[in-house]
Amino acid sequence: MAEQIRIGVFVCNCGSNIAGYLDVKALAEYAKILPHVVFVRENLYTCSENGINEIKAAIKEQGLNRVVVASCTPRTHEPLFRGTCAEAGLNPYLFEMVNIRDQCSWVHMQEKEKGTTKAKDLIRMGVAKAALLKPQEPIQSEMDPRALVIGGGIAGMTAAMALGNRGYEVTLIEKSGELGGLLLKLDKLAPSGADAVAVARKQADLVRRHPNIHLLLSTHIDEVNGYIGHFQVSASTNGSKTQFGTGVIVVATGARVFRPAGLYGYDGEKVITQLELEEVFKSGAFAAKNVVMIQCVGARNDERKYCSRICCMVAIKNAIEIKEKSPETGVKVLYRDIQAYGTENEALLQRAKELGVIFIKYDPARPPRVEAGKVIVHHDLLGREIELPQDLVVLSTPLVAGEDNEAISKLLRVSLDANKFFLEGHVKLKPLDFATDGIYLCGNAHYPATVREAVSQALGAASRASIPLSKGVMSVEPIVSTLVDEDACRGCGLCVALCPYGALEIVRGEKGRKVRVIPVACKGCGICAATCYHHALSVNSYSDAQIGEQIRAFLEESA
Amino acid sequence: MQYTTDVRLIRLMCTGRVDPTMVAEAFIEGADGIMVVGCHFGDCHYISGNYQARVKMGLASRALGYVGLNAARVAFKQCSSAEGDRFVSHVTTFHDSICEIGPLGSAEKLPLPKLKDRVDTARAALASEKLRWVEGKFTEFQNNGNKYGEKFTEHEMWRTLDTIVIDEIATHGILKEMRKGAASVIELAERLEIAPPAALKYVLALQRRGLVGLAGVDGATPSYRLVERPAKAA
Ligand SMILES: Cc1cc2nc3c(=O)[nH]c(=O)nc-3n(C[C@H](O)[C@H](O)[C@H](O)COP(=O)(O)OP(=O)(O)OC[C@H]3O[C@@H](n4cnc5c(N)ncnc54)[C@H](O)[C@@H]3O)c2cc1C
Repeated sequence: MAEQIRIGVFVCNCGSNIAGYLDVKALAEYAKILPHVVFVRENLYTCSENGINEIKAAIKEQGLNRVVVASCTPRTHEPLFRGTCAEAGLNPYLFEMVNIRDQCSWVHMQEKEKGTTKAKDLIRMGVAKAALLKPQEPIQSEMDPRALVIGGGIAGMTAAMALGNRGYEVTLIEKSGELGGLLLKLDKLAPSGADAVAVARKQADLVRRHPNIHLLLSTHIDEVNGYIGHFQVSASTNGSKTQFGTGVIVVATGARVFRPAGLYGYDGEKVITQLELEEVFKSGAFAAKNVVMIQCVGARNDERKYCSRICCMVAIKNAIEIKEKSPETGVKVLYRDIQAYGTENEALLQRAKELGVIFIKYDPARPPRVEAGKVIVHHDLLGREIELPQDLVVLSTPLVAGEDNEAISKLLRVSLDANKFFLEGHVKLKPLDFATDGIYLCGNAHYPATVREAVSQALGAASRASIPLSKGVMSVEPIVSTLVDEDACRGCGLCVALCPYGALEIVRGEKGRKVRVIPVACKGCGICAATCYHHALSVNSYSDAQIGEQIRAFLEESA
Repeated sequence: MQYTTDVRLIRLMCTGRVDPTMVAEAFIEGADGIMVVGCHFGDCHYISGNYQARVKMGLASRALGYVGLNAARVAFKQCSSAEGDRFVSHVTTFHDSICEIGPLGSAEKLPLPKLKDRVDTARAALASEKLRWVEGKFTEFQNNGNKYGEKFTEHEMWRTLDTIVIDEIATHGILKEMRKGAASVIELAERLEIAPPAALKYVLALQRRGLVGLAGVDGATPSYRLVERPAKAA
């Protein structure tokens, strides 16, 4: 016989957050008459110890087999209430949350009556769905304890070292013939003044000698398949192919310096970029008498709206360098806004001013003009144009997304932002993870960073990556796609083609071609279920029937 | 940040989960408007779900519009989880436009049962294999072209989709009518409000697929009926 459904509904006052704007008494009364509801309780705070204990007691004493909490947002509280159910012996996926705070009391503060009616509807919808919920078990799978790091700049080398030092086997793939990335082209590093090449070389030596790090230079990644714990990588080094497995992947592919072709008479000799200026420093050929630097070249405009973050620091650093090498050389920095954040950058800015570097603000509507021997700029305070003599113009250009980003985003099925930099899983809560499990990011690949930031991110990404590695076995939320009707599946493969995570495959079995879900790779987006015209696939806790029931419950009264 | 109390929310993991037939079903249940709200393009937490949703909702509004539902009752909008103001503005704009159109049936100038019956035909079309494939492959075709390397503009894609939508709706309309009993092409054309030659075309296509067969000839007019299929059809 089918199990009898016994739903308990807990209506939270959230202090006055909900009770101040909705008639919670009426909500609790209303919940009592809903189908399958056998127990209702109103709580001052359902998430308090009292509230939690009441849920636990009711599950045991009232024999509840579904729990609905009408309160705040599942983003913050669903894990807590699921845990509560589990502690009382109820499968945590037999819990449903109704958001009557963010979706109701907070957004209808002046409409108590109508807001209460809406909250009743929301509770009715939640209860209707809850009746159809099915228990789910966490999905477990073994972990390949190896790591892959892509990109051998300072970020990639640091991440590889951190993972190697923890005892994991790491493959580090660098596409050029050399470790070090951008640092190999720089002179001194702000704020410490350390020699950039020496910093890179020191780390590169450690990497090369590390017994756990397998280094592949001049190597191109051809293919990545699989999912967290079970990635399969194919790469080629000068035409010879290698294949290996890995459990996690760290992306540290850096960024490129924007080449300002056609801007301010850029020619790479008399009008150069900051990067080229650093190369001139290194070669010892610096001899200019009047230098004009222009900030935000090709940045913070319609094409590239973002601020590249490091360019003000770089310009200040190089201005100081010039003044220290050759105090009589004039240095003018034309800027839109100076971003000298933090104590060290501010100190550098002050030092530059002490050394006689002149900072002049320009208006992007009236940008400077570079002419033979001079730069003309409109000076806001003087209210007129002034001429600055120059025998070298240095353009501060932004870092732009790496040329391989689109290819890598496709290979790894990870997202890019509007500027084609890699996009983290969550701006605040998952800054070093991708949305796809088992893949992490650090350094300039994410966004222009200083060496210190790139290194901190690399250490963070390595430690994020070592969480699943250290577990050996991983368990994943069971809100995933399931083949609910195997006979209905014709193995057409449309769902496989559309799955963003490579979590579906077609296998040939006794019944012919059928789709198979790889639950650890699935994130439960439901594209497959919304696409399968035979309704063979469904998503746990978001089935057609469950969503349909919510829709019906909403409209049954108004119909 | 306040908005109308007329809206009810259904939480999904991703807009990619919204099957266009759910939208049709919600109208059959009596909804006045349906808005699907997801992430911005390029910012999808589920990588490509919002691209799928865009096409699915575009298709749903076209198919439903074609059968007589006011297409403005279906909307696909975008905002990030940090853009509360934008969400409110989407809800408010949508609510205003629904208020202007009025409750289901009023703007359509159709009695509700008739409108819902037509929406049900659109639902069947939206569930069809053919529309699922074109809707699924839309973004890929647009970005990478078809297997012959031909690329299509947004406009060309939707134009092609429109003709498929019309064909599928007519085909499913005919199948639905025939479930009620045998009918001649003229009768079908009248009931579906399409031209008789078009109706004939669809009937013959269904006959070729073995779904429809000759029921008899009344004078000079042949009538057709559904072909009984063995339970386990291929
Ligand atoms: C002009 C200039 C001056 C700067 N000055 C300073 C300073 O004074 N102080 C400071 O802190 N920072 C400075 N920076 C910033 C500093 O360069 C970065 O913080 C640092 O380089 C970031 O390291 P990364 O490893 O993320 O990227 P990168 O150094 O760019 O390294 C990325 C590596 O990945 C490799 N790669 C790319 N694609 C692939 C692929 N598909 N497969 C395999 N490998 C790949 C690249 O070949 C490269 O070796 C400066 C930057 C510039 C442009």
